[in-house]
Amino acid sequence: MQGLVKDLTGLLGSALVLSQTEEMLAYANDATHYFKSRIPDAVVLPQTTEDVSKVMKYAFTREIPVTPRGAGSGLAGGCTPVHGGIVMDLKRMDHILEIAKNNMTAKVEAGVVLKKFQDQLEKQKLFYPPDPQSASVCTIGGNVATRAGGPRGVKYGTTGNYVTGLEVVLPDGSIINPGGKFVKQSVGYDITHLMTGSEGTLGVITGVNLRLLPLPEANRTIVVVCESLEQAAEIVAEIIARGAIPGMIEFMIKLAITVMNNFFSPPLPTDGEGYLFMYFDGTESQVEYEAKLVTEICHDMKAKEVRLIEDKKAAQTYWTARANVYPLIQTIFQRATTEDITVPRNKLPDLVRAVQAIAAEEGVMIGLAGHAGDGNMHPSVLFSQVTPELLAKAEIAIDRLTRAGLDMGGTISGEHGIGIHKARYLSWELGDIQIELMKRIKQAFDPKGIMNPGKLWLEGGGGNV
Amino acid sequence: MFRLEDYENIIEKCSHCSYCQATCPSYLAERSESYLAKNRLLLIKETLMHERMPYSKRAQEILDLCLLCTNCSQTCSSKLPVVDIIIAARIKARQDSGGLKQFVMGKMLTQRGLTGALGKAGAIVQKMGIANKEMPRLASKSFDKMYSGTYSPAGEVKKRVAYFVGCGTNYIFPDTGEAVVKVLNHNGIEVIIPAGQVCCGIPPLGEGDLEGARTMVKNNIKLFAGLDVDAIVTDCTSCGMMFKEKAAKCFADDDPLQEQIAAVTAKMWEVTDYLQNQGLEVKPGQLNIKWSYHVPCHRGWSPTVKDAPRQLLAQIPNAELRELDNPELCCGGAGTYFMEHREEAGKIRDKRLEDINNTEADAVLTQCPVCRFYIGFQVKDREVTHPIKILARAYGL
Repeated sequence: MQGLVKDLTGLLGSALVLSQTEEMLAYANDATHYFKSRIPDAVVLPQTTEDVSKVMKYAFTREIPVTPRGAGSGLAGGCTPVHGGIVMDLKRMDHILEIAKNNMTAKVEAGVVLKKFQDQLEKQKLFYPPDPQSASVCTIGGNVATRAGGPRGVKYGTTGNYVTGLEVVLPDGSIINPGGKFVKQSVGYDITHLMTGSEGTLGVITGVNLRLLPLPEANRTIVVVCESLEQAAEIVAEIIARGAIPGMIEFMIKLAITVMNNFFSPPLPTDGEGYLFMYFDGTESQVEYEAKLVTEICHDMKAKEVRLIEDKKAAQTYWTARANVYPLIQTIFQRATTEDITVPRNKLPDLVRAVQAIAAEEGVMIGLAGHAGDGNMHPSVLFSQVTPELLAKAEIAIDRLTRAGLDMGGTISGEHGIGIHKARYLSWELGDIQIELMKRIKQAFDPKGIMNPGKLWLEGGGGNV
Repeated sequence: MFRLEDYENIIEKCSHCSYCQATCPSYLAERSESYLAKNRLLLIKETLMHERMPYSKRAQEILDLCLLCTNCSQTCSSKLPVVDIIIAARIKARQDSGGLKQFVMGKMLTQRGLTGALGKAGAIVQKMGIANKEMPRLASKSFDKMYSGTYSPAGEVKKRVAYFVGCGTNYIFPDTGEAVVKVLNHNGIEVIIPAGQVCCGIPPLGEGDLEGARTMVKNNIKLFAGLDVDAIVTDCTSCGMMFKEKAAKCFADDDPLQEQIAAVTAKMWEVTDYLQNQGLEVKPGQLNIKWSYHVPCHRGWSPTVKDAPRQLLAQIPNAELRELDNPELCCGGAGTYFMEHREEAGKIRDKRLEDINNTEADAVLTQCPVCRFYIGFQVKDREVTHPIKILARAYGL
């Protein structure tokens, strides 16, 4: 792109513009590095909303693609510059602008790292629940753009449930502030929540207003070893049906436990097939009651082992290991592609059975882990060796899985977003009329089509593995 | 053997999850993904490993800006040996360029104890043009000039240890070494300090000078292998890491030295870790001190080394630990990094100092002499020292 770097340097100064190939390599991918990708023509590192606005004005005039990027830890290829152009890395906009305890809200810049924010809140006995497993690095702007969730979704919902306002730079460089510091608003179209989950296709999110909760005073961790995956799924369905609301219920297969086991002392027994990690938070009496109720349910339903982890430090190791499952699995297999199917919670046993049946019928290995409490499962096709035959089989298996999830009244993505990974299935879930409507919305925000082109909808040739 | 080709499969295990962003000091200082472990591995793959891209000046810069702190590997879910891969890459780059890039400190560190070594070091420092800037002041008398041979406790000998003295203690902080000998003796432990020790080898290895590192390892292993001792202690976490995790990798698997390396490294302990593991024979006296702990980066070689000073000093009545917000943040010193990359190291230290300047402690303690120097250079209103010195003080030694 002729003169691009020179122009950007003119706008921001040379310290905020990267263009050498040696640096661009880092920006070609997110955690789905096996998808098609290309390196950007330039990366900008804006420090202020003004910087972002300047770059957008320029890109709009020159019709250059712009791909906003947080930590690059996404699992759908959402922040990768598949059409080249400019990557807008927002990690330097990392100021926590306000924590208003008297209003239970906060305002942050888009590049604030989630864990850093949560640590600051904890010091003031405040709580911001969304917990994507990449919390140590992922940015709140990226969380908003993908509606990121995590294990706490079962009780607390996901990022979208906490966003009350945004600062957004539109493709032409103009700055808007939909929503605000209030927790309710009824004024026209809800631009705040239209931007939430828009995956950088409508504008650049530069600031976020969030709703906060008081920090729960007590918690308990329980680990359950189950005879079979169905048993684990049925226990989850029963817990939900009996009205207990755990802060998290994580579902894992034996394979996940074997890779996590060096985190635990003593290690978990590996003679089970399904495993549940559960977490209860609230007042002391509430967690006491819920832990007791759930322990009873697990025993009644003949779980192999129910482990109440009393020691706080030991309990933390289970959750740390859980956060590392995906990268750990990646180290054993040549490739592991993660799906994000979410079904109504009473359908969880059906989904588990469907995954097992499809894996057996198509002859592929499918790992299963996920946030069972909210029906959000992450079946992963595991490739010991990536071969054209296996890829073809995997493609069919994922198609079938996706169809099965939709037939159960589910959705193709609970928290990762569409990006390029799930573009193939968008029309399955939404149908042509909704997609056309979305395209008209896209046209209204981004008439020149410069925002993160190549994402959300299929441009032809999109694969799923 | 740090051969790049041996890492071809391992390097593919990077899942690009980017969790290394949480702890990589060079990334945190710049907040550009160029400086992330992920990108360094990508660059090594494209340039030195598969030669799909030239090993350009920029590629070299990005690799050189790694501090070899090991934080990425400690954070990495799959514990990828990023530092070993970067060392292998630096070795290959050095070989490809005909080994012309001289490791400036090499001569001084291999010739410890020889007359004039310090003078040579001074001359090197002058040549580098950094003498008047932030450079450690060399002690008027190095530790090996004052201590050598066997030091026995006053009473019964309960244990015997050999003491490996790193360059930091030998040249800059001999006070640490004195405290080590006295505290060990005070607890009934005999200390043997073999003459002829040289640098542990981590500085040349970090520069890609494998031969230089081998010479040093060979020298030291031969000195320590035959000793009849219960343990070998060091006061420096980086020397400990070099022995425990890197020495064997400098030689072929079937090298005759491997057996001796295994024998030595099996007995290797950081001194506070050793004392905490053994239990103090003598209860320390009261000391009114509030202290914070800066955990050295090279802590991964012992699961207990980072808690040892905390537990050991907790036994001193009235000594109070004030934890830093982020006790494990790198200080930017990193061996000779702060001399070669002054600006970048300074930025990293600035981040480190944020919570050190906020602590109410009277002293900042750390087991790494470079951290001690590099943090200490900016922290003037409180003591920066080795935890063993506080223990010595509590004993009235």
